[in-house]
Amino acid sequence: MTILLPPVKQRLAAGWLVLVVLAGLFAPSAVSPPDLANINQPPFQGGHWLGTTSQGLDVGVSLWQGARTLLLVSLPAAFFTLLAGAVLGGTAGYWGNTRLRITHFQLALALFALLLTGLLLTYFPRFAFWILAGVPAAAAVAWAFLPGSTRSATRLALPLDSSILGLIALVNSVPLLVLVVAAAAVQRPSLTGVVALLSATCWPTPARLMRAATLQCRTQPYVEAAQAAGIPSLRILWRHIGPNALPVLLVRFPLTVAVLISLETTLSFLGVGLPAEMPSWGRLLAAVRQAPPDWWLILWPGLAITLTVLSLQRISGSENRR
Amino acid sequence: MLVWMGLLYACTAPTTRSPEGTVRIRWARDPENLDPLIVSNASAYEVANLTHCSLLMGREEAHDFVPWLAESFPTVKHLGDTLLQVTYRIRPEATWDNGTPVLARDVALTLKIMNCTGLPTEMAQAMFGFIRDIRLDSADARRFTLVCAGQSPEHIRSSGDFSVLPEYILDPQGQLRTVSLADMRRQPTLAAAQALARRYQRLQLARHPENLPGCGPYRLSAWQSGRYLTLRRKKSWWADVYPAPPYQLQAYPATLIYQVIPDAATATLALRRGEIDVYGLMPAAEFTRLQQSADDRQRLAFYTADAYEFLTASFNVRQPVLRDAATRRALGFLFDVPALIKATQQGAATPSAGLISPRMKEYYNDSLALPAFRPAQTVAMLRQAGWQRQPTGRWQRTSVQGTPQILRFGVSYRAGEPSFETAALQFRAAAEAIGIEVELRPTEQAVLSRQLQAGETDMCIRNYSGNPFSYDFTALLHSRGIGASNTTQFSSPLTDHLIEQITTTEDTRKKRLLLRKFQRVMAQEMPFMVLYFLKYRVAASRAIGVVPVSGLKPGYEAARISPIKTPL
Repeated sequence: MTILLPPVKQRLAAGWLVLVVLAGLFAPSAVSPPDLANINQPPFQGGHWLGTTSQGLDVGVSLWQGARTLLLVSLPAAFFTLLAGAVLGGTAGYWGNTRLRITHFQLALALFALLLTGLLLTYFPRFAFWILAGVPAAAAVAWAFLPGSTRSATRLALPLDSSILGLIALVNSVPLLVLVVAAAAVQRPSLTGVVALLSATCWPTPARLMRAATLQCRTQPYVEAAQAAGIPSLRILWRHIGPNALPVLLVRFPLTVAVLISLETTLSFLGVGLPAEMPSWGRLLAAVRQAPPDWWLILWPGLAITLTVLSLQRISGSENRR
Repeated sequence: MLVWMGLLYACTAPTTRSPEGTVRIRWARDPENLDPLIVSNASAYEVANLTHCSLLMGREEAHDFVPWLAESFPTVKHLGDTLLQVTYRIRPEATWDNGTPVLARDVALTLKIMNCTGLPTEMAQAMFGFIRDIRLDSADARRFTLVCAGQSPEHIRSSGDFSVLPEYILDPQGQLRTVSLADMRRQPTLAAAQALARRYQRLQLARHPENLPGCGPYRLSAWQSGRYLTLRRKKSWWADVYPAPPYQLQAYPATLIYQVIPDAATATLALRRGEIDVYGLMPAAEFTRLQQSADDRQRLAFYTADAYEFLTASFNVRQPVLRDAATRRALGFLFDVPALIKATQQGAATPSAGLISPRMKEYYNDSLALPAFRPAQTVAMLRQAGWQRQPTGRWQRTSVQGTPQILRFGVSYRAGEPSFETAALQFRAAAEAIGIEVELRPTEQAVLSRQLQAGETDMCIRNYSGNPFSYDFTALLHSRGIGASNTTQFSSPLTDHLIEQITTTEDTRKKRLLLRKFQRVMAQEMPFMVLYFLKYRVAASRAIGVVPVSGLKPGYEAARISPIKTPL
């Protein structure tokens, strides 16, 4: 182990990740027909270098196409996870429990918008996108421009921090895998569904990190000066706190991707989440259940998953040390 | 890591052994509903046959029905040109659990239930609607005559193929004894009939079949949906009086425990670990693998039987893109049947041109072409069916209403079944190669059954069961079966007429011609495409003795397994 110096390890890790990304980018999209004449073929025989499954699928091609699925699921999911974490953590950290005060009118407006969104989503699930975009936008316009929305003597303090911490505790109270498998089992398999599900369940850790970083920044003199100068809160968050707090979150990116890859492959292994025709490393690994003696069905996808997750952790570790 | 641990665990020696007299059997699916009027899957059918008795029972080795609750094969008399009188006598030994004899009036009540408004009688009507009346013999309480419409030999056999239900539970006062079968049909508002329907529904037989014990050898003792079902043999069953009971009256195991294990690989693990004793309908690859292992050969016995069950790709003909026969026929050329047989059945299955087994040489239409893998033919036939390939590579046509249709559909199959999955993957790859958009939908069995009933699937890869003694396709393909068991929802006046003619003709030569014509029409219309006829494979622990196997579902005869008394 002493021969491999840390930079070499990191270079190897980065090299493997680049390989995976390139494989994903250039993977063939055409469905490869199963070679039914050569099922359960061991590696390095005939035309199938890494062997075939009991359904005649080429393990090499499936791994290659699986790399694309990996990118399609884990990268967007990691982005949305961090985005949700940043927004919620930043909100909780900056405003705390007492610093956001709103009028009764604004509270009623927010509750009404929430209720309306829920009702519309229940009765018109087909228009989910328009409802989720339209109702909050309309509420925001009303919030900003309606007379009386800001004119009021008594204002209520919104306990944002407690609410978000409560939500984090709620999501964390159920083991992640149980939560994801339960949700994936009831919804119809789809790529966007899996991305949404993973984002919706993995945000608490980045949210906690972001909250801590924001709390730290908020007490800095330059932030207090900006507040004293009357600069709007959103601008302070964006221009002064964001640039200092976000790097903490970005360091977390490779680890988040690693967690999501493990989750995605676990879901595919269990046969839920992704559509059946989508090649995935987890699904390839699951093929061993139908042919237990076929060791190559464990070796190749197992190796690929292990190397990818370890590489991401190595990269993340070096970022941390920096 | 989990997989390795699982594999290590699997390789360990068996940990459990069934108690003496107990046989533990693997089921791929739960019976779901045990109402004797709604027997909707093979597991439910198995339970019905162990807890209830019919008058006749189909036996493979006889290629015919044999008397079960009936004393002998019924006598038949023709009544004019259109009616048939079938006279049965019930075995004098037959009794219900309370000791009262099984009598003709129990059969009469069963038929009345099948005609009772307010009960789920659709399936019974489709199968036994031809029984118009029952006449009890005033001199012999066990003798009765069924009056059947049509003079088919099929009707003689089918007339005795329903579970007989006890009158003492369903109509304790005997209020319906004076009501005729015709009255039950004509007067749905009859007070006695309504009371019967209420009593029947109160028993909640779908979940609590123990509320209506039949005169079969077993009684349900526990049932946890999706997990297990236990049947216990009655301490004294009426057929025990026979010193050498015929096959159909043999019942040896004291307890039958059915374990629901949908996943084939998990079931194999359970068998190897000794958690189940019998694994029927085993996938070919698993079967061969076990046979090759010296360890497993020592502990397990392997049986095979040529089956009457066949794998099909069935179409929902109500779906707009699959409505025309030309499109369905075109899609049929995308299955590579010989390769599928080699890959999934280890080469041991028989391709067939239609829904009658090629083993039944007398009736099989051998002039029809066997399924062939010809994607080029699919392209040509799709063009003939009005589809046009778009610059995007996809297929489109204009429907009768003028709206554009894209050739895109889902293929559903039971999740976890390797042969279905392989066929679906092969079909999808072949379809995608020529631009047809196919979405695979592996579905849990109970959900799939519901979707099939509701007509929500497009194409489904599934098995259909057949038998060597009855050629009544009413339930499967007649317009009367739509909404019940005709899940392709296909019907046409020609096929309806043919089905009726087949069931009503007595002349073997004419029947042969009709069946051959029916197969030809089916090949033209193709509501489902037959891929191949299966071979049943049963692997069982040697510790339970010899398992009698059969080409009829479930592939083994649980009641006739005679457990060895001394443990090995």
